[in-house]
Amino acid sequence: MNLQNDAFLKIADTISNDYIKNTGKKVAGYYCTYIPEELLDAANLYPYRIRATGNEDTDLADTYMVRFTCSFVRSSLNLAIEGVYDFLDSLFICNSCDHSRRMFELYDIVVFKRNNVSKNIPRFYISIPHIISPEGFLWLHDEIKELKKKMEHSFDITITDESLENSISLYNQNRELLRQIYKLRELDKPKITGSDALRIMMANSSVPKDIANIELKRILKFLETREPINIGKKKRILLLGSIVDNMEFMNLVENSGAIIISDNLCFGNRTIIDDVKSEPSKSPLERITERLYYKLSCPRVMDDHERRFKFVKQEINRARIDGVILQRINNCDLHGCDNNFISKELKKLDIPVYNFDRENFQSDTTRLKTRLEAFIEMMN
Amino acid sequence: MSKNKVIPYQMVLDSIASTRELVERILPKGEIESLKMGARCIEDVVRESIEMANKGAPVIGHHFAFQREYLYCFDCVPVCIEGTSYLLSALLPDGVERYYDLMANWGHPFHTCSSQKGAMGMTLDHLFEFDAIITPTAPCDNTYASYPFFQYENVPLVLPDIPFLHEEKSYKYYGEQIKLGLEQLGKIIGQEPNYEKMKKHIQIENKIFPVQLELLDLRKAIPCPVENIFNAISAGVAVFASGTEQKLKFYEDYLEIAKQRYNKKQYYGKEEKIRSIWPYMLIFFDLSLCEWLNREIGMNILFDIFNYNFYEQIDTSKDLNTMFTDMAKRGMNYPMMKESTDFYYPFIENCVQMAKEYAADCFIFTSHIGCKQFGSVPQILREALRDEVGIPMLLIDLDVGDKRFTSMKIIRDKLKIFAETLM
Ligand code: SF4
Ligand code: SF4
Repeated sequence: MNLQNDAFLKIADTISNDYIKNTGKKVAGYYCTYIPEELLDAANLYPYRIRATGNEDTDLADTYMVRFTCSFVRSSLNLAIEGVYDFLDSLFICNSCDHSRRMFELYDIVVFKRNNVSKNIPRFYISIPHIISPEGFLWLHDEIKELKKKMEHSFDITITDESLENSISLYNQNRELLRQIYKLRELDKPKITGSDALRIMMANSSVPKDIANIELKRILKFLETREPINIGKKKRILLLGSIVDNMEFMNLVENSGAIIISDNLCFGNRTIIDDVKSEPSKSPLERITERLYYKLSCPRVMDDHERRFKFVKQEINRARIDGVILQRINNCDLHGCDNNFISKELKKLDIPVYNFDRENFQSDTTRLKTRLEAFIEMMN
Repeated sequence: MSKNKVIPYQMVLDSIASTRELVERILPKGEIESLKMGARCIEDVVRESIEMANKGAPVIGHHFAFQREYLYCFDCVPVCIEGTSYLLSALLPDGVERYYDLMANWGHPFHTCSSQKGAMGMTLDHLFEFDAIITPTAPCDNTYASYPFFQYENVPLVLPDIPFLHEEKSYKYYGEQIKLGLEQLGKIIGQEPNYEKMKKHIQIENKIFPVQLELLDLRKAIPCPVENIFNAISAGVAVFASGTEQKLKFYEDYLEIAKQRYNKKQYYGKEEKIRSIWPYMLIFFDLSLCEWLNREIGMNILFDIFNYNFYEQIDTSKDLNTMFTDMAKRGMNYPMMKESTDFYYPFIENCVQMAKEYAADCFIFTSHIGCKQFGSVPQILREALRDEVGIPMLLIDLDVGDKRFTSMKIIRDKLKIFAETLM
């Protein structure tokens, strides 16, 4: 077996895949890790995480989003205007960041009302608090209860506690499998590269979880028995910051003398390290809310930097990290500011750190590679 | 006398007083009256603030979207973060670029909002010493991203949370958050909130509301009797003097001037050739643009974002919880908050309706680098205005507080060429 050509991993290389047509389920597009996927799954939807993989220019999207918005979001919009996301049957958006939250309107006004296309898909919105507090938790719990009602009404279905429990265990199993794969990346002699781990994460976000779990078990078995990768003197890196959904960037880092061992990324630890707990006294929706609300946050949560930084320090020790790469997509205020704090704090601890900005599609790779190589060289 | 913790306020006071004196000396009565009156109002309030700070009252920084009058429940000096940055960017000969650069050198990303960067740089430079800062978790990513800087600099941060979407439950939630926030603030500065005192200042704002509406109505007249610079000055008055008698007087006095012009069908500049709506912000780093448009181009700015959305009055006669819900409504309907805590369908509809009601000839959209939540609005708005009203919109990419991003020369050229296409 060769991971490079593995059919499951290849799902990450494109937007569409065979399951979209074959499962018979309605595809529910979403942008953010704060969307309660278990609830979507329990409604028999097929949650699909919207990506911008493979997109190289944003000409179409640039008409609708000004140049100082995030090029990941613009790229995903570009694909959508090209019709690549016409397979979506519904859309779930939350107030993650200012760039992606406006996709609620743009899919409605631009994407699904373009020339010769007129599609009216149900769109759902949840408002997530920007701070962690008991009141904020109650707010979110209420939002998720309301979302359930709206979905039931819109799809003319009933979402039972039993189906929610089934989805919770399916998703917990999914996260556990991914965590096991992630552990193989952290070994002294890793069995998987950061690039392949990201491909697995992306593929996983693009297929229904019952199918993903079968595939993940197969891949895990293969990885467990395979020989470790020869990483030679490569430096062990913790990767943080803006969304990464393209191999070019990962390969650039891993071809510069580094291997990505851990992360706090959207398509990474942020999705998998927290599970929905099993507490019989609490309803499934309450527990789903707890996971979402208290999970490893991103900088959209305004008062949670301390907890995020604690995670960074823990990872550095636990995964024996040599250096930290902080990257942000240009114009991403959230990661831009949070990365600056992390960079300062790491410097105080004498941990090598490199903080830079990039575009979602990196055309200027030579300069970035030189800078990455210099950083890695410095660690020697 | 204790240490001056609000040095930038002294800078505001000195620069605005000298600007007013100059304008009063060289311009005859009737010319840029709003600047003279607004400057007097701001001077007064800022002088009071400096005196209070010197006597040791706690200095509380607040986001412009957290209503200043709510802070009157304490004996404190409210300092508007965004207002200070932008008023000084307009008043200081070299602007506040020096403070933006301080922040950039500190590692703060260049693409964040300059309205915060200015006051942040002043804090880094020890010109401001805040005892606490309060900001709602809105209107934008910059707020969530930039304000933690103050905490990093050991200033306690209080964060009333604002949800997205205008629903009754949102108002209730945010109302409770305001109350919790004020209580938390009280603990930090060692004071009990005095809501009776706060009410008095809210009542002053309530009195201002009908005056604002009357003024807005007068602007429907052709020619419009309100001068362009009034828009910028009233924004300054709103953030520096909210909840004060001085602000009420400013509005009442200006209403009289506008009424006189209205009765005489008098335009402020040479001739009103173009009626424009600026649905977003004006350009703060050079307010002479307002005069240039009035006098040279004949373009009237009917209003900018701070001058068309007015929020309803707060009922101070009911129980405290109801009042806090009303305060939340007001907060969530404040300029910029309203648009960013909602989908942009109502914004577009509102723009189309205003274009019709006020007989606008065009829209000018200043696309400010900080405002990512508005980054996907301009084209949709342009299409709506074209299709439903038949008027064009000029889009200018800029930083409203940093002249280096798009220079005034480029901005004027764009406006001039655009105006020529309309005439
Ligand atoms: S990278 Fe930043 S701006 Fe882009 S989608 Fe993520 S959070 Fe939003
Ligand atoms: S909404 Fe825009 S102008 Fe207002 S604070 Fe945010 S970025 Fe700055």
